[in-house]
Amino acid sequence: MTALLEIRDLRAAIGEKEILKGLNLTINAGEVHAIMGPNGSGKSTLANVLMGNPAYQVTGGDILFKGESVLDLSPDERARRGLFLAFQYPVPIPGVTLVNFLRQAVNAVRGEEVPIREFREKLFSKMELLKVDPDFARRYVNDGFSGGEKKRAEMLQMAVLEPAMAILDETDSGLDIDALRTVAEAVNKLMNPSMGLLLITHYQRLLNYIRPQFVHVLVDGRIARSGGPELAEYLEARGYDEFLAELARA
Amino acid sequence: MTSTTEERLSVAAQSRELGASDPAWLARLRGEAARLADTLDWPDSYQSRPWKYCNARGIDLARYPAEHDEGIAVEAPEGVTVTTLGFAEGATDERLAAALGTAVAPGTDRFTALHYALIRDGLIVDVPANTEAASPVRIRRTVSGQQFAAPHTVIVTGPNSRVTVVEEYSSDGADILAVPVAEVFPGPGSEVRYYVVHRWGPSTRSFGYQRMLGAERDATFQNLQLVLSGRVVKGQLESSLLGRGAASELLGLAYGCGEEYVDFFTLQDHIGPDTRSDLLYKAALRDAARSVYYGLTRVGLEAKNADANQENRNLLLSKTARADSDPVLEILTSNVIRASHGATAGPVDEEQLFYLQTRGIPRPAAEAMLVWAFLEEVIGRVPDAALREELLGLLDAKVRGA
Repeated sequence: MTALLEIRDLRAAIGEKEILKGLNLTINAGEVHAIMGPNGSGKSTLANVLMGNPAYQVTGGDILFKGESVLDLSPDERARRGLFLAFQYPVPIPGVTLVNFLRQAVNAVRGEEVPIREFREKLFSKMELLKVDPDFARRYVNDGFSGGEKKRAEMLQMAVLEPAMAILDETDSGLDIDALRTVAEAVNKLMNPSMGLLLITHYQRLLNYIRPQFVHVLVDGRIARSGGPELAEYLEARGYDEFLAELARA
Repeated sequence: MTSTTEERLSVAAQSRELGASDPAWLARLRGEAARLADTLDWPDSYQSRPWKYCNARGIDLARYPAEHDEGIAVEAPEGVTVTTLGFAEGATDERLAAALGTAVAPGTDRFTALHYALIRDGLIVDVPANTEAASPVRIRRTVSGQQFAAPHTVIVTGPNSRVTVVEEYSSDGADILAVPVAEVFPGPGSEVRYYVVHRWGPSTRSFGYQRMLGAERDATFQNLQLVLSGRVVKGQLESSLLGRGAASELLGLAYGCGEEYVDFFTLQDHIGPDTRSDLLYKAALRDAARSVYYGLTRVGLEAKNADANQENRNLLLSKTARADSDPVLEILTSNVIRASHGATAGPVDEEQLFYLQTRGIPRPAAEAMLVWAFLEEVIGRVPDAALREELLGLLDAKVRGA
């Protein structure tokens, strides 16, 4: 069986600075993976590179999605094939309402004009799932949103677009415990056996609510260690400094 | 270069001919303007800051006869009088006589002098006291054939009245020199909304002048300059806030393509106490289009509690588009509520583009969404929903056709 997402010896840089230095990772349909790592280890770079952010240059390796390289694809082509990134810092877009934006996005991803009625029904059911106010859709995308609202809006987009592979970049940051629970419950409901999920997080907290089968620790642009959920707990107990010192001794 | 003898004789002759049936007050104004047109120079790029980027000195006046082949269509709601110069009667005529040429002086520069020397189709919108116009006054002016055009609009409102005036300028493909002038005199407690749509032909150069004389208490003025086309569209717009509590909101929006050139000078002049002004000018520019904005907010010694804001935003959609922006504050009293200004010029935000693209929206569509959001904000300030939709429709047609 072809893996859903296969990252092979991926190297990427911002300007002259190499950040990812040969990263390997395979995610199959139905799997939940978590990537943890200290600040500056390359977590957000990985998220951006997977989605094709032009601010980053891939300098080596490959990214295969459903068996095909996506390196030459634009971000929108990747999205239409089923990749989704929930941003750590969702970008405010004054003047574009969430409902208008989502409608264009759904049409683009489906490759056809979705009837307005069908779209609205879907949008409102997903808004209910994420416990967001119906007025939310009429607001400008991420404009003046609180930290929690931004993350819910990201999850709402994921729920409406139904991607095959979702990357959640620090989705827990900026969320209080109630919001975190709501968001996690929604993600758990959306997750299905044909979908892959990659959680990128600094803290173990999120993983109490969304349980990964695989945990990877990213250090200096490479996966330093992989394991099960117990690896996350081990990290949380020891802290990154001690973990890094332990790696250095090994 | 002062005017040539040939030009001088021609302006004087045309002015005399046009003024043959003038009432005495207009004959005086016209005669004085013709003399000024004679002595004044074209505005100089080196000496007059509003003309820094726009060279008027090359204009050959002999090429633009004052033929005045100008079509005017007017719609006015009940209670509002709209009359052209020469047909005004009674009190309206008196108001016109008292107002014409007092807000925008003939001697402002050579363009205004020529305007008054060659004026013919002046319009007065006269709104009596305590009148709330049920629908907008519509003025549509169309200029055809090579000429010097001098459209003039005067808006006078009585106390506590409200009116919206939508004026649309258009012209054919001929080489046209237009000098439109608008003078607005809101009465105490009255509100004037004046929206100007520029749909000039591709070879028309328009040098416009507008002044709102807010002499009365609590007079409110909202103005929109929507520039959709024209070879050169330049405007010199002033709001003089004299009456206590007078307020002005100046809005400007241009979507330029090809080699279109848009140039605005604005003056938010706080003279009386408790006056408010706001300004939002935006331009989105494709191809080799160019926008120039120079704006002055002046808060005088007596303008206590002034609240002034001024923003100019430019979106550059090609490498050859260019925007020059210079908002200036000049504050003479320390007792202000706010005096702020800002200016930006740059391409579409890459982070916003990336964000939209990650949701499957192709780059051109994402860019179009961002451009539209940028433009829509200005028209969003128009309170009347039906007018807003109409103006957005005009803008949409220009954006799609570009």
